[in-house]
Amino acid sequence: MRNRLLYWALLAPTALFALAMTVLPLVYSLRASLQEFRLGRPPAFVGLQNFQALLHDSSFHSSLGTTLIYTIFATGIEFLLGLGLALLLKEEFPFLKVIRSSLIIPMVIAPIVVGIIWRLLYSADVGLLSFAVQALTGKSFSVLSDTALALPALILVDIWEWTPFMFLILLAGIQSLPQEPFEAARVDGASPWNIFVNLTLPMLRPVIAVAVLIRALDAFTVFDQVFVLTQGGPGTATEVATLMIYKTAFRFSQFGYGAAMAVAVLVLVACFSAAVTRAFKGSV
Amino acid sequence: MARLRPALIVLALIVTLLPVYWLVNTSLKTQVEVFTSPPTLWPQNLTLQNYVDLFTRRRLGQYLLNSVIIVGSAVFLSLAIGSLAGYSLARFGKNLGQQKLNFWVLAPRMIPPVALVVPMFLILQKLGLVNKRLGLMLVYTAFNLPFVAWMMRSFFEEIPIDLEEAAMVDGASRLRSFRDIVLPLVSPGMAATAIFSLIVTYNEFFFALILTSTPAAATLPVGTAALIGKTQTLYGEMAAAGVVAAVPLVIFALLVQRHLVRGLTMGAVK
Repeated sequence: MRNRLLYWALLAPTALFALAMTVLPLVYSLRASLQEFRLGRPPAFVGLQNFQALLHDSSFHSSLGTTLIYTIFATGIEFLLGLGLALLLKEEFPFLKVIRSSLIIPMVIAPIVVGIIWRLLYSADVGLLSFAVQALTGKSFSVLSDTALALPALILVDIWEWTPFMFLILLAGIQSLPQEPFEAARVDGASPWNIFVNLTLPMLRPVIAVAVLIRALDAFTVFDQVFVLTQGGPGTATEVATLMIYKTAFRFSQFGYGAAMAVAVLVLVACFSAAVTRAFKGSV
Repeated sequence: MARLRPALIVLALIVTLLPVYWLVNTSLKTQVEVFTSPPTLWPQNLTLQNYVDLFTRRRLGQYLLNSVIIVGSAVFLSLAIGSLAGYSLARFGKNLGQQKLNFWVLAPRMIPPVALVVPMFLILQKLGLVNKRLGLMLVYTAFNLPFVAWMMRSFFEEIPIDLEEAAMVDGASRLRSFRDIVLPLVSPGMAATAIFSLIVTYNEFFFALILTSTPAAATLPVGTAALIGKTQTLYGEMAAAGVVAAVPLVIFALLVQRHLVRGLTMGAVK
């Protein structure tokens, strides 16, 4: 009985604090999404009007589309590269520890700084990449102001920054697999490819699920690098959802409409998480 | 394949490290040299002027101070409160359904930050805490808490309960056995958890941008982003600011490498 009391007493501050900072804002957000809420005017209840407007807001739809493309390509490519790196580095190699440490550096650099790094590579006047492309093709090259190339360029930044995350988690997953099934398969004469497809991948499923879920959720709400590199431009070519909501709420001071967009994103993310969790049922 | 392996590893290292090198390289060049074509592979006239300018003309010191105060107190507070919860979960939480707990601890992680930021701004504005260090500090503490509780739980669980019980049989109170026996054993885990929270909050930009926009409270990432807007083509200064913001964290992260996977997945993968 005393233990029970102690249990809750120790847990309570954390629980209350966390609830106050998540549930409370969410409720507030829901309420704001039902209001016409602009700076300097008292909020007025408008029912589902904001959501109706969202349904017909083509720039919001295209922003969701951009975000989806960003998420799918970034997460997908990061997974493949990360898996490749993990397989490459799972066995002994000279200086393995140093190599591993070096490979995870991009992940721990602040996203804002990652933005700066890629500005130095992409910028049309001094960019290292721009220079290289110009030297090779003779054409001037300005990726971030090209409507077709800006989004892929941002995805490349994401891949550079977060492939280490996939690599690290998949490597840990691979190294924690039991050895017996692999030895048995080798004794039976299975090819490396066969072992990979029929043993490694299925056994790695739970780890893959966690890694992909975490990464996709973060990619879907990307903001920092886009803010530093393109601010959503050129035009709206790289206007991801979070950036659009930021502009709506804090530049145009339409808090109600911004809140409605945020609620829509929240619902989408929740559906996505539920779908992934179900797809990997029993493994998450 | 076997012969390709070293080549691929070297390629991965180059792709990973070259952009970082380029940041450091640019930060040590003069403004004139930054614009020379072809770009110089290392600074011809090595200079620290960019760094000096950042602190004398661009108030980077102020932003750094704000970051240290906000992040430092948020990490301390969340560790103090969250460790208690972690201990509680490790010692008395066994009867709770693991599945249920997983959900409640991980659920906040799945809420897109943008869904919280609009109301958070409006609430803090009402409380007069926008553009105050205290406001952002409270937000960061709250964000850290579930993570700290979860990480600390996994570290507490690694300490055999018998050790504690033995001390209690010998007449020590639960508090004393916690302080004298458990705490020293768990301190490496606590340090790792602290560094993790530090990395996440020190690098955080989105909330900081919206909740602190004045130099009196803005953190280093916000100050750096503002600098990019102001300096436009002063790439040397921009790069130097990047180095200042990144270096301490890279060092910290390498220190906790052993726990990195556990931290990144909130214990889902060890």
